[in-house]
Amino acid sequence: MGRQYEIPVGAQHISLLEPLHFKFTTENEKIIKTDANVYYVHRGIEQACVTKFKFRQVSFVVGRVCGLCSISHTTAYSQVAEKLLKLEIPKKAKYLRMLVIELDRIHSHLLCLSHVAENSGFEALFMKTMMYREFSMELLEAVCGNRIQYDFSIVGGVTRDLRTDVAQQILQRLKTFMPQLDELVGIYENNWTLSLKNKGVGVLTREQAMQLNVVGPFARAAGLEVDVRNETEDLLPWKEVGFEMITDTAGDVHARNMIRLREIYVSIRIIQNIINGLPEGELVTETKAFPEGEATVRLEAPRGELFYYAKGNKTQVLERLKIKAPTFSNVAGMVKAFEGNEYASAPAIIASYDPCLSCTAR
Amino acid sequence: MNLAAYRKKSPWILHYNAGGCNGCDIEILACLSPKYDIERFGMINTGNPKQSDILLVTGPVTKRSRERLVEIYAQMPEPKVVISCGACASTGGVFRGMYNCEGGIDQFIPVDVYVCGCGTRPEQIIDGVVQALAILEKKTKALEEPVQLKRAAKQEEGQLNRRELADDIKPLLT
Repeated sequence: MGRQYEIPVGAQHISLLEPLHFKFTTENEKIIKTDANVYYVHRGIEQACVTKFKFRQVSFVVGRVCGLCSISHTTAYSQVAEKLLKLEIPKKAKYLRMLVIELDRIHSHLLCLSHVAENSGFEALFMKTMMYREFSMELLEAVCGNRIQYDFSIVGGVTRDLRTDVAQQILQRLKTFMPQLDELVGIYENNWTLSLKNKGVGVLTREQAMQLNVVGPFARAAGLEVDVRNETEDLLPWKEVGFEMITDTAGDVHARNMIRLREIYVSIRIIQNIINGLPEGELVTETKAFPEGEATVRLEAPRGELFYYAKGNKTQVLERLKIKAPTFSNVAGMVKAFEGNEYASAPAIIASYDPCLSCTAR
Repeated sequence: MNLAAYRKKSPWILHYNAGGCNGCDIEILACLSPKYDIERFGMINTGNPKQSDILLVTGPVTKRSRERLVEIYAQMPEPKVVISCGACASTGGVFRGMYNCEGGIDQFIPVDVYVCGCGTRPEQIIDGVVQALAILEKKTKALEEPVQLKRAAKQEEGQLNRRELADDIKPLLT
């Protein structure tokens, strides 16, 4: 029985992108208890969406909830508003939304992987992953006009068409990216130095994941088959474009890395299918109706299940908007998976959760 | 050891997110990556306020991160430069007027360079940081001026003779 020490990490720390505070209670370098404090960036977006902004403007505001998965937020809000308006959007708009969501997933997963590598102390791999990630940012800029904050989905459809030369560019860049991704998989899978920091670290078992209601790659690494793309077909036709469920059993940092890398393969296949089978048609369905009633929407963001609830009362301004972000569900699992690990591996474990606190705190 | 020369060649960056959406933060990370490669200016992202020269702030100031921001600024040694990255950090942006937001960071700490855009492009961030380097150099010189003046007086010929100086005004006093 050694002495217990309390070590704080955050709110400002080199391994954290955002203000996040963990208080670790350690004994002989082992973490025995963790306190998480995630609400540093609460801004009050939900309140502003039902007072300051009209319901068509809200899709641009909720994009600013999170810069990494802004397309997931705008799409989810657009879908919930379309449900309130009882609007059927064109099939082409659905396909373009899926295209941008999958491109966004590639860039988000690669960013998370590079962050894990950096926090494990492997600076060269961080640089390599960031270098390979840059193609997805350029493609997003070519499709949407901005590197981040795309503002691509609006209520009723999408803002931009996919030009034929851009579509060819996407296919070509994906072809050059494939061998680079194979190389990355080889490094993350087999590198001995990285495996010391990643294998068997931060384990969350399947039972714990089920009890603590974990979502996203965090749950799929533990063996739970949780993916909204597998469950709902009514809003976005995922199975039509070749979605495939990917799970692992180990539940450690290494398994989360491998889940993310293998999901990038699925995303690439989905993008290729979408571009090859893009239907003709309009981009936006116009309407002059006002939102009425209640509706909920679930969407698979890069970090897991995103949930939107909205209530309208036949005016320009919504009555209630509720956002439940994937990281909010994962906080309990995050705190649990620290237990019994060395304090030195805490930064790598934090990065492997891929926490998005601006989503959580809104 | 000439600290000023090293400061000019290799300024260290401290990054703090005061409540933004992560968009500008990942662009700062992209600046560190091989395509934009901010390290060619000798810059390293550091986590310690006591070792850094340039403070990059993103996001509108929320009520909870306000004290942390001021504390971090106070811990940085002089000379220091503050860059506000993005529309939110400069003015509050789309979050202006929300109940838990204070608005731009210039209400709490002095800002030297404003970088616009939502989100900022890496080219703009690099441009802002290079401007900040010029300001940092100016501030360094201003800080060292009194030291240089004293040194110059010593190097000439000993100390000034007060009695000789007083000779000029002696007739006026009597």
